[in-house]
Amino acid sequence: MFKKPCGTFDEAYEKDTAMVRTPFRWVMLALLFALMFLVFPFVAGAYLLDVANNIGITIIAVLGLQILVGFTGLISLGHAAFMAAGAYTSAMLSEHLGWPFYATMPLAALVSGLLGMLVSLPALRIRGFYIAVSTVAAHYIILWFILHGGDLTMGTSGLTAHEISMGGFVFDSEFSMYYVIMGLTVLVVFLLTNLMRTKIGRAMLAVRDNDLAAEFMGINVFRTKVLAFFLSSVCAGMAGALLAHYQGLITVDQFTLIDSIWFLGMLIIGGPTIIGAIFGAIFLRLLSQLVLFMAPFIGGIFPAFSGTAVSGFTQIFFGLVIILFLVFEPRGLAHRWQITLSTFRLWPFKTPLG
Amino acid sequence: MTFLLQMIVSGLLSGAVYALMALAVVVIYKSSSIFNFAHGSMVAFAAFLMWSLIVQFELPLLAALPLYVGCLFLVGYLIQRLIIQPLTGQPLMAAVMATIALGDVFAGIITLIWPGPGRTLPHVFSSKTLHLGPAVMSSEGLINFSICVLAFLAFFIFFQKTRIGLAMRGTAEDHALAQSEGIRVSWIFVVSWIVAILLAAVGGILMSSLYGVNSAPLHGLGMKSLAVVILGGLESIPGAIIGGLLIGLIESVGAGYLDPYVGGGLNDLMPFVVILLVLIFKPYGLFGYERIERM
Repeated sequence: MFKKPCGTFDEAYEKDTAMVRTPFRWVMLALLFALMFLVFPFVAGAYLLDVANNIGITIIAVLGLQILVGFTGLISLGHAAFMAAGAYTSAMLSEHLGWPFYATMPLAALVSGLLGMLVSLPALRIRGFYIAVSTVAAHYIILWFILHGGDLTMGTSGLTAHEISMGGFVFDSEFSMYYVIMGLTVLVVFLLTNLMRTKIGRAMLAVRDNDLAAEFMGINVFRTKVLAFFLSSVCAGMAGALLAHYQGLITVDQFTLIDSIWFLGMLIIGGPTIIGAIFGAIFLRLLSQLVLFMAPFIGGIFPAFSGTAVSGFTQIFFGLVIILFLVFEPRGLAHRWQITLSTFRLWPFKTPLG
Repeated sequence: MTFLLQMIVSGLLSGAVYALMALAVVVIYKSSSIFNFAHGSMVAFAAFLMWSLIVQFELPLLAALPLYVGCLFLVGYLIQRLIIQPLTGQPLMAAVMATIALGDVFAGIITLIWPGPGRTLPHVFSSKTLHLGPAVMSSEGLINFSICVLAFLAFFIFFQKTRIGLAMRGTAEDHALAQSEGIRVSWIFVVSWIVAILLAAVGGILMSSLYGVNSAPLHGLGMKSLAVVILGGLESIPGAIIGGLLIGLIESVGAGYLDPYVGGGLNDLMPFVVILLVLIFKPYGLFGYERIERM
């Protein structure tokens, strides 16, 4: 998978462990950052920035799920509920107590993470999709408490969250929030990439591939699974808090089981790597924008289906996309990306991946 | 005491329907080890399909039923052949994921074809209030209960006495062994999906006589049968029935006594708390096959 281009040799230990290994990659990374932070926000309008912000929040949430699904081999159907827990914790702290964002977001992430640990307790005695069932239960339980929270969570009418303000500067536009969200996204991507290079990350991979063998190697399987759930929910909580303060109003309807399914779908489409999760999130979010654009045409062709047709059509479409990826390209977009990269790298020779 | 009896009666009545729906999950799990997460949406879809045939197209019941069963046969067949079959040989998780995505597709079909508020199915039987000692129940609840019992019996006869049932039980034991006996395992999977969707349909129709044909409650009720399956044990058919009645009881009695303290709605919470507790303390359920594994 990680073939280096011809002529790249590691002569020192630091070089071997470096995250960015070649000067070319440094240049590409710098270009990417320049594009992300210096060009795109000034070129794009409010609409595009809004799309980008939503993608950024989704990427944070999906990366959290990737720790579970892609790296530890567990399925969670409660990710949207953990996001809701984070969103509501942050919104409640800011609404009722007036705490600033930089205090509420870590707390939201922590609360969400602890809930995730609680849900993962059955992992002590069972494996496989039983965990997924316990996350479904967690989804309904968390949302029940939010719905019946009375004045604390405002039930069905939705809870308002204050805009983020730091030292007198209020992040109230898409433009300013873009920097907050993208900054945090880059941070999460960096931290996760690093996590997967550490002992914990490799323990997760070992548990995914064969938990029995992993245990024989001295890995505490239960602790690894609980830790994976914790980290995953922390990411979900972060994303939820961001979403709450970005939108200003959150309702229970924003965190449904369908959303959790979408997150899983993004991972299936992307593939089991960090770049895969990013690809999947971008791909599905852009696709949903495309469907929104196409909605008037669909309504024009099938007048009977206009109105709520868009949401129904989107669901069918995405369900089918997920199934098609499962059947025809289970390794996801990340695998296609690797093929593309190695085609360039090994040209004029054939790539062995295809 | 009257109150308790009332709660027990209503709990048993709804528990029977849960048990029926749970049977659908168990049948699929027994034959192919795939846990069907699309179950909730399948229940809702089946109820809406019935509504379309009877109310929208105004078919008489006798004409609608064969057509309905035919549609469900087709749906079950297509699910197995187009989605589950191509995933053979891939990790089991892939198939489970596929059922999750399938649930999404069903939910989408429902919003696309039957948008807007809920609908109601016409009453086939007149609704009267019956008295069982001091407890009260509607005649509809009793009829639902009897239909459930009939469906259980039909399923038992099918599963225990027919050749296909025998083949299904053989497949549940061992795929390779069943194959070497001349049973077409892939065909058995098709049959189990069809049986499952039929059971889900009966459950969905019975439930919608109580709650109306509504997407979200039906989906939630289908999801509640996950609790039944977990409590009863994944591979156990008696477990599904006993688990169903138990969940009905727990939900009804628990909500009856505790609702006044928390402001209502507890019956939607109870089954999922049961799931968590069972998974932590008795993960293979009451009658499930306890695999001895190193954790």
